[in-house]
Amino acid sequence: MCASVKYNIRGPALIPRMKTKHRIYYITLFSIVLLGLIATGMFQFWPHSIESSGDWSVEKRSVRDVPLVRLPADSPVPERGDLSCRMHTCFDVYRCGFNPKNKIKVYIYPLKKYVGEAGVPVSSTISREYNELLTAISDSDYYTDDVTRACLFVPSIDLLNQNSLRVKETAQALAQLSRWDRGTNHLLFNMLPGGPPDYNTALDVPRDRALLAGGGFSTWTYRQGYDVSIPVYSPLSAEVDLPEKGGPRRYFLLSSQVALHPEYREDLAALQARHGEAVLVLDKCSNLSEGVPAARRRCHQQQAFDYPQVLQEATFCMVLRGARLGQAVLSDVLRAGCVPVIIADSYVLPFSEVLDWKRASVVVPEEKMSDVYSILQSIPRRQIEEMQRQARWFWEAYFQSIKAIALATLQIINDRIYPYAAISYEDWNDPPAVKWGSVSNPLFLPLIPPQSQGFTAIVLTYDRVESLFRVITEVSKVPSLSKLLVVWNNQNKNPPEDSLWPKIRVPLKVVRTAENKLSNRFFPYDEIETEAVLAIDDDIIMLTSDELQFGYEVWREFPDRLVGYPGRLHLWDHEMNKWKYESEWTNEVSMVLTGAAFYHKYFNYLYTYKMPGDIKNWVDAHMNCEDIAMNFLVANVTGKAVIKVTPRKKFKCPECTAIDGLSLDQTHMVERSECINKFASVFGTMPLKVVEHRADPVLYKDDFPEKLKSFPNIGSL
Amino acid sequence: MQSWRRKSLWLALSASWLLILLRVFPVLRLAEPARRQAGAPQGWPRWLDAELLQSFSQPGELLEDGPQPPQAPRGGSCYRGACFDASRCRGGGLKVFVYPAVGPISETPRKVLTSIEGSRYHTASAAEACLLILVLSPDTPAGECHPVLPQWDGARTIWSSVSTRPLPPDLPAGTGDGGRGQPHDGHLPVRLWRGPPASPRPTLCEGALGQLQQHSPLPGVALIAVAEERGGWRTVGTNFSACPWDGRCEQDHGPKQTHPRATLPNATFCLIPGRNPDALHFLQALQAGCIPVLLSPRWELPFSEVIDWTKAAVVADERLPLQVLAALQEMPLTRVLALRQQAQFLWDAYFSSVEKVIHTTLEIIQDRVSGASAHPSLLWNSPPGALLALSTFSTSPSDFPFYHLQQGSRPLGRFSALIWVGALGQPPLKLIQAVAGAQHCAQILVLWSSKKPPPPRWPETAVPLTVLDGHRKRTRFCVMREGRGTTLLSQASDRFLPYSAISTDAILSLDAHSSLSTSEVDFAFMVWQSFPERMVGFLTWSHFWDETQGGWGYTGERANEFSMVLTSAAFYHRYYHTLFTHSLPKALRTLADESPPCVDVLMNFLVAAVTKLPPIKVPYGPWHQEAKPPLVPGSPRLRSEPRPGAQDCINQMASGFGHMPLVSSRLRLDPVLFKDPVSVLRKKYRSLEKP
Repeated sequence: MCASVKYNIRGPALIPRMKTKHRIYYITLFSIVLLGLIATGMFQFWPHSIESSGDWSVEKRSVRDVPLVRLPADSPVPERGDLSCRMHTCFDVYRCGFNPKNKIKVYIYPLKKYVGEAGVPVSSTISREYNELLTAISDSDYYTDDVTRACLFVPSIDLLNQNSLRVKETAQALAQLSRWDRGTNHLLFNMLPGGPPDYNTALDVPRDRALLAGGGFSTWTYRQGYDVSIPVYSPLSAEVDLPEKGGPRRYFLLSSQVALHPEYREDLAALQARHGEAVLVLDKCSNLSEGVPAARRRCHQQQAFDYPQVLQEATFCMVLRGARLGQAVLSDVLRAGCVPVIIADSYVLPFSEVLDWKRASVVVPEEKMSDVYSILQSIPRRQIEEMQRQARWFWEAYFQSIKAIALATLQIINDRIYPYAAISYEDWNDPPAVKWGSVSNPLFLPLIPPQSQGFTAIVLTYDRVESLFRVITEVSKVPSLSKLLVVWNNQNKNPPEDSLWPKIRVPLKVVRTAENKLSNRFFPYDEIETEAVLAIDDDIIMLTSDELQFGYEVWREFPDRLVGYPGRLHLWDHEMNKWKYESEWTNEVSMVLTGAAFYHKYFNYLYTYKMPGDIKNWVDAHMNCEDIAMNFLVANVTGKAVIKVTPRKKFKCPECTAIDGLSLDQTHMVERSECINKFASVFGTMPLKVVEHRADPVLYKDDFPEKLKSFPNIGSL
Repeated sequence: MQSWRRKSLWLALSASWLLILLRVFPVLRLAEPARRQAGAPQGWPRWLDAELLQSFSQPGELLEDGPQPPQAPRGGSCYRGACFDASRCRGGGLKVFVYPAVGPISETPRKVLTSIEGSRYHTASAAEACLLILVLSPDTPAGECHPVLPQWDGARTIWSSVSTRPLPPDLPAGTGDGGRGQPHDGHLPVRLWRGPPASPRPTLCEGALGQLQQHSPLPGVALIAVAEERGGWRTVGTNFSACPWDGRCEQDHGPKQTHPRATLPNATFCLIPGRNPDALHFLQALQAGCIPVLLSPRWELPFSEVIDWTKAAVVADERLPLQVLAALQEMPLTRVLALRQQAQFLWDAYFSSVEKVIHTTLEIIQDRVSGASAHPSLLWNSPPGALLALSTFSTSPSDFPFYHLQQGSRPLGRFSALIWVGALGQPPLKLIQAVAGAQHCAQILVLWSSKKPPPPRWPETAVPLTVLDGHRKRTRFCVMREGRGTTLLSQASDRFLPYSAISTDAILSLDAHSSLSTSEVDFAFMVWQSFPERMVGFLTWSHFWDETQGGWGYTGERANEFSMVLTSAAFYHRYYHTLFTHSLPKALRTLADESPPCVDVLMNFLVAAVTKLPPIKVPYGPWHQEAKPPLVPGSPRLRSEPRPGAQDCINQMASGFGHMPLVSSRLRLDPVLFKDPVSVLRKKYRSLEKP
């Protein structure tokens, strides 16, 4: 730009001395230079304009214009696939390096058209589906255009259908790819393997160590943990609109495939003869009316049915082996919410590495085909309904589109390379409704922590030293106390000197905080060595030693819950249409106050690092409701109710009642109700559980000598 | 003019130089017509004619792919369809016969034998079995001739060899060369554990309990322990730099200590290096609740067909040691915690004894045979495990009491009262009225086992009342008893049969002599809904260790703690009837039949062994005890004090279970306002306090 300015300045000085002819000549020259410079400058700053690889420079807009590559007849052919390949032998994991996001990088070779020496094309350049597949990969997070950083390479040579390519020449084309290196880390997609007459179950193209994502693997060709079994995409998925359908289904068992071996036809006919109306066996239509594609019509004798709509009329749908093991009909069947009955021995079901097909299908050995009806009859109704839902969910998540198939394949490979970051069985298999409703308790193993471990009391204090010392003295009388931690929340004042603190039998530690925040109470301090934590306010002096010890014992039996003393309740206010906080003495409890409550220290970690939304900041800003937030958090992750212990109803000492007047009480209630509504909206649900029970010692108020009771002094309201 | 020309030439030259300097190529490319559409992300191009591309399969090709005859399985190795004759199992389910041992056998094979014999699939007749098992001693060399077996038709036999020596990698673990006998490798048969560790490693086989006591992700011990080649473990400090397992850089890292061979590792992660890691190390890690970290093992993880090992172990690539270490260090606490608990759960459920390993193997075969009614993955992979969640009961997780949280479901909100009328019992009319009045009662079932005929008329109740005949047809039993001149036909354990008439999840089990008020029933059922996997009862017993006798004892005296609730008045899930009848060893049930108070003990043992939690006690009005009818000698169950002669049954149960499963509790669940000095009108369960 500087240069152009310079020329502009010099321009006017030159122009008057020139002849008109020259002047025009120069002006034109200058403007061209100027324009060129401006364009260059603009181009420099245009986003994503700098190409790191020269390959794209030859890119054309039409598939027909892609560059031609002529393969010499004697160019090398890769070895046949190595059946012993596994990830740790044939896959070069170093190329994936360490990636903080635990995500592999995938490179796609640019599209070229390969011809043999005679100029005959090796295959059709690219099919619609393969183009979609590569587009999906290119749009995903896995994609990289930097070939040096890639961990997985996807050739743009279309191998989806073996019938449309020449095996040897395609192999030669693969071998001349720039990073081929015996096929290491190359991923090939194929849906229709093999060809007549013997129809191999895996792609016949020699491919050396390349991974194969294939439709129709059999257990003989599938390299467990290396190859990926993918579905055969059904073009009907995109062509036909088939909304989900509920309600009863007319047929119990249906077969809709047209190209079946006569032996299977006979078996099917026999089934139909035996069970009549419940079984429907469809075939090609002989007298097809005009304008309807054959793929969309099926007939039984003279009766014609729309396909795939007819699949929605059946509970179970047959998926029989044809020439190939992988059948596109599986996709249609799943979509119709019909439970597939898979009769294809040794077939490796799509994505079987991660999908639990037992939940969505019935696999019947070929030799048992004649018993299929009785096998299906023995499945309980409820299980069938679950299978139908699961089938539809599998289609929606993994079969629906080429994109879904491509991304699931990459996810599977990604999970193998970063197993510690792999997504779980539930993520793969549970339909969204189940995922939403289910709870996986982080403390799911039933363990009763040893009593000897004791608990750590955490006292949050600001400046009420006198009251604090009383609390410390009281709490130290509890037999199971193993450590006392004082969280000094006052930054302007130093805690009292060591000599002033009460002398107690357990270690006492003072932690000074950087900011006066309520959430400091729930911080996972390194000083906490026990599992059990007792959070206690610096004015809770009314709890007896028996009461606290009993609270700890109850916590040991319910280590995944909040165990507290006064209980509170949330209620739905029908008039205001929102939640309301209730501190009346009701028959129900859904929260406990954390002014004194036992809980597992793991919840401190959750509160500090995993609290959803802005709740933590909100609590700190309002200086209120930290206990409600904790109740929400624990109930949300465990799905369980709190345990209220002993008759205790409030923390206020009798003489304090005069202080808080009615108005103060009411603003307090309004604020607490607001908290509940706010938290419920952040959590997206109301996790609190209401119960009608509290825990008392076994002999509480029983007619039994007091001195023989373990916890005689259990306190009052 | 010349100067002008020269100047213009110079200008043009400099201009073009500038152009070249400022990267002329992009400009040229901008001018090229084949520029991508503006704004399109870099990557695979959007072809103009994408819409015109042809589909990968020609229309109709998917339909027309040429029919093929069913293919015979290729290759010489077996898979189930060809080598295992499952049709023999379909009729009566899996039946297992085990060939008796020939000659003296060592301890572990004998344990295997007894475990198979104790299994619910065991049959004494080889003819009706669909699976025949030959237990090979480790001393039998593979490939040697075995004695000719009478039932040998090859199609039903499984070889089970118990080996302590490492097997060559090409020989499938745990198998012999058995012709058509089910090999354990190949692609369908069970990947049986590479021989449970045998006699030289006794610590692992004796029903050893898991070591995990805390729900702590990092229990203040070493982060990583590394298995040593000679056995034993070496803990590694957290400040290691690299490859702590390959021994070369041993000097480089922090504090380490070597434990003797027998001890368990005390760390969060247990690194088991090597391509053929030692099974013992793997098991030790599980037992210790230490997360096994395996580096590209060549073997399948045990029972990987059903166990989702990604939830309990880390299998990483040995070629990326630093990444693995970094990943372990950075693993979120949430996941570490889950992995540890799962490792411990799997140990307890499937590996803690030879018996469990054998039963798991049989269960997997049963799952294959049964096809659609196999255990769902959830049942295998979450507590209490598939051995305790019988698929014959249901295959839907929400039918069990254990999985409501994971399923987001709840138990049915009603209960069935099952009233057992014993040998000398009278119709419990008052009890029926009290229970029928309960808010959530769905039905009343009277199990009539009395010698007297049931009355022709029953009181009118709001809920349906059904009388079940408690005299079970049991030929073998009758013959035996008649030989002794007894006419007693019903047995104490009959009350826990899974009666099909029970239509709800919850059962309120009652005796004819039980006394309960409607309010008590209502409250107890509310409590049960919060704890559907536990027993919720009114009267309790507690067990104790009797130093003088050197054994367990139990008492019905009121105490500050309890560990059992009496089934004469208790809520529990109907699944426990199925479990009681089908999973308990016959010997224990016979024991319970002979001494009726043992039935209560046995039921409590069973539930405690499954849940590992104590039962729950709810308040029970003291006035019931006073109003009790005089004790009838034949039915001592209504007393809360066990009979002295029955004391021994707890010890027999404990030895039958292999450990003492009972857990004590020190609390009772009361209504929130129970006996509080507040207005009675406030209280929902006010009649709990006074009749």
